[in-house]
Amino acid sequence: MSASLLEISNISKFFPGVKALQNVGFSVDKGEIHALIGENGAGKSTLIKILSGVYQPEEGGKITMEGEDLGVLDPLISLNKGIVVIYQDFSLFPNLSVLENITLGSYVEQNRKLVNYKEMRKIANEMLRQLAIDNIDLDESLGDLSVARQQLVAIARALANDAKLLILDEPTSSLSSSEVEKLFEIMHSLKERGISMIFISHKLDEVYRISDRLSILRDGRYIGTYKADELNEQELIAKMVGREIIYTIYPKRKLTEPLLEVKKFSKQGNYKDINFTLHKGEVLGITGLVGAGRTEVVKSVFGLNPQDEGVLLLDGQEVAIKNPSEAMRNGIAFIPENRLTEGLVLRKSTQENLTLTLLEELSGRLGLLNPKKSDKVAASWIEKLDIRPSNPHLFTAKLSGGNQQRVVIAKWLATNPKILIVDEPTNGIDVGAKAEIHRLLRQLAETGLGIIVVSSELPEILAVCDRVVVMKRGRVTAQLFCEGLSQEDIMSRAI
Amino acid sequence: MKKLKMIKELPLIIILVLISIVITIINPSFLTVENFLDLLKSNLVLTMMAMGMLLVILTGGIDVSVASMITAVTVIIGNSLIHFSQNILVTVLLATLCGVILGLINGLLITGLKIPPIVATLGTMSMILGIVLYVTNGNWITGIPQNFIDFGRIMILPKTLADGRVIGIPIQIIFLLPIIILTWFVLKHTVIGRGIYALGGNLESADRMGFKTNRIIVFVYAFEGFIIGLSAVAHTSIMRQVDPNAFLGFEMQVIAAVVLGGASVLGGYGSVLGTIIGVALFSVINNGMILMRIPTFWQKIVVGLIIISSISADMIQKQREEHLKVRVDVDEVASYEA
Repeated sequence: MSASLLEISNISKFFPGVKALQNVGFSVDKGEIHALIGENGAGKSTLIKILSGVYQPEEGGKITMEGEDLGVLDPLISLNKGIVVIYQDFSLFPNLSVLENITLGSYVEQNRKLVNYKEMRKIANEMLRQLAIDNIDLDESLGDLSVARQQLVAIARALANDAKLLILDEPTSSLSSSEVEKLFEIMHSLKERGISMIFISHKLDEVYRISDRLSILRDGRYIGTYKADELNEQELIAKMVGREIIYTIYPKRKLTEPLLEVKKFSKQGNYKDINFTLHKGEVLGITGLVGAGRTEVVKSVFGLNPQDEGVLLLDGQEVAIKNPSEAMRNGIAFIPENRLTEGLVLRKSTQENLTLTLLEELSGRLGLLNPKKSDKVAASWIEKLDIRPSNPHLFTAKLSGGNQQRVVIAKWLATNPKILIVDEPTNGIDVGAKAEIHRLLRQLAETGLGIIVVSSELPEILAVCDRVVVMKRGRVTAQLFCEGLSQEDIMSRAI
Repeated sequence: MKKLKMIKELPLIIILVLISIVITIINPSFLTVENFLDLLKSNLVLTMMAMGMLLVILTGGIDVSVASMITAVTVIIGNSLIHFSQNILVTVLLATLCGVILGLINGLLITGLKIPPIVATLGTMSMILGIVLYVTNGNWITGIPQNFIDFGRIMILPKTLADGRVIGIPIQIIFLLPIIILTWFVLKHTVIGRGIYALGGNLESADRMGFKTNRIIVFVYAFEGFIIGLSAVAHTSIMRQVDPNAFLGFEMQVIAAVVLGGASVLGGYGSVLGTIIGVALFSVINNGMILMRIPTFWQKIVVGLIIISSISADMIQKQREEHLKVRVDVDEVASYEA
């Protein structure tokens, strides 16, 4: 490896309540394929957005390229300096032709005013030739191309932009294996021409095949950079997942009788052959990388995303659930991602929020609310979940975060479910509020409720769940008891 | 044949021809030079306005204030012609300036305050109409200077018919043609024009690519305002007076013509040629209904039907595409352990 192309140092990025990146720094050599590894939420996307000028880093961060301090970046400057990101969605224009998708970016970058189609055609042809792509019609509308071909167009566009550093975000996630081969061939040819690449992938076999070095991020911190042949897969996983467990680990319970059984669930393009059982009073975790199909499965259980095949047993009885209202009638409640924090009408009182799911039951013959009944229901939930302050007429905006979440959960519990499914219950909230939610979930499980927690955060799974179902690319790869389990045990099955 | 397939507007042209044939069979006076010149004159302003609306719709926006804007500009130039200057060039400059300012207000509300276009333009529409009503009391402005009226009556290639009437191409085509060419040039041959398509196709990607998307959107509304200014001059020179209520509901006709021409209200799809055909289709349908003595209230119903069916087609198409997207790449060979 020769001289370094890109050096970043001391890069931090804070969002309200979350430190997405803290003092990250590493370098990428010329003509190097550098893998960037980390769990969901480790800060990879934030780092890409900083390099591409979409986000500005906090004070003190420095990005240099070929020795030149780049200063404050914006998307245009970043492109000008030759940093090109190929996002997972490619950022192409489905309504424009292949020709324009490849060349328009360089026109914008050079701040040109007029379009010269003849010249565009020349450039685009040259780029495709350099990439040895000969089966793409320049006049075709991009939206008509397959995903793999769209990706090639995105790479050709990067070349037209005179890329020095190409950042590929999960480039193989929607490619077939032969398409991956073709992509790797192209990556090799770019490497030979001295173009550096940052390669982001969850597929460790691919990472080892293609990259020279790899850098690891964890919890927004930089863990280290290693030569690919210096670090084996186990060591790598250990470095990825070594997140500190700062939560209370709740004692695990013995399994009781089955409450909900998912049998042979399959859905085209979502997941395949899913089997698991939720027991009374159990907290069952479902984890996996983003895109493993976790949310799709629980949505099917709740009737939001009906499965193609498979049956659902409730208390040993087969039930057919085709929509959410049937699910609720069968005692299943589902709290989607972010709902715990966003599921409140803040400028309404605790009581009004609590009774929102019960309006039908609480209203009289004319459809008017019965205030006495509402008072009673609200008071009982405030007491049961210990919501403070206990005044039911206070705006929920005045409540602390933890108490607000209790109101949301109470709202759903008021429908009297036997099974509660929560999707990423603590995403994006601070540690104190997370611990509160964990405590609440365990409390609820004590009452005999079966709870499914979908979460990417392994410490959370280990802290709060009795068992965990691990998913990978639409399949269940393991079902494990959380007692004595380590983060590596889970991650090695998810990756 | 392959070349023909490349013309995306071909289906629209075929529909236009078919409808024209049907109308001609029912009423042969449809297919006459005279009727076509009439159609041109009565739809000239609509065509110009449709060019501006096309740009807005390409960005994925919509502008319901166009009718109020042209009303305001006609009121301004009507008063200016009577009280200030009879010079046509001055009138054109004043009209376009006013149009651009109104357009800028819309554009800045939409980009600066992030107000959805339909809400922003509904708001400006109501305000503009209020001010117009305050100024005019709803009264017509008459007494437009003779030189302006004479200008409006000029015909290019005039021809005297057997019954003594004179027909010809209306002078207002000198507003229409440059606007069509300019719009086509901007959209097809400038980077900003391609940027309009790009941001309509995928706003986030356009940002990432370095397009100054907010500036482009402001430009679009200002450009539309410019066209509206010229349309106001063309309209006033045709009507020779200003009626503050002349454009009641006109925005719906403009939008209907544009979507009929194949532009997608979701943004990113549409062309100048398509829009011209859209206006032609729209006016032929209208004209045909008149020739076939169908009551006028049907026209409003047809406008609504056109808008709703075109938009539904876009939405259904989009939902279908969403549905086809694979969410999880399911592993066909995965190990399992209990």
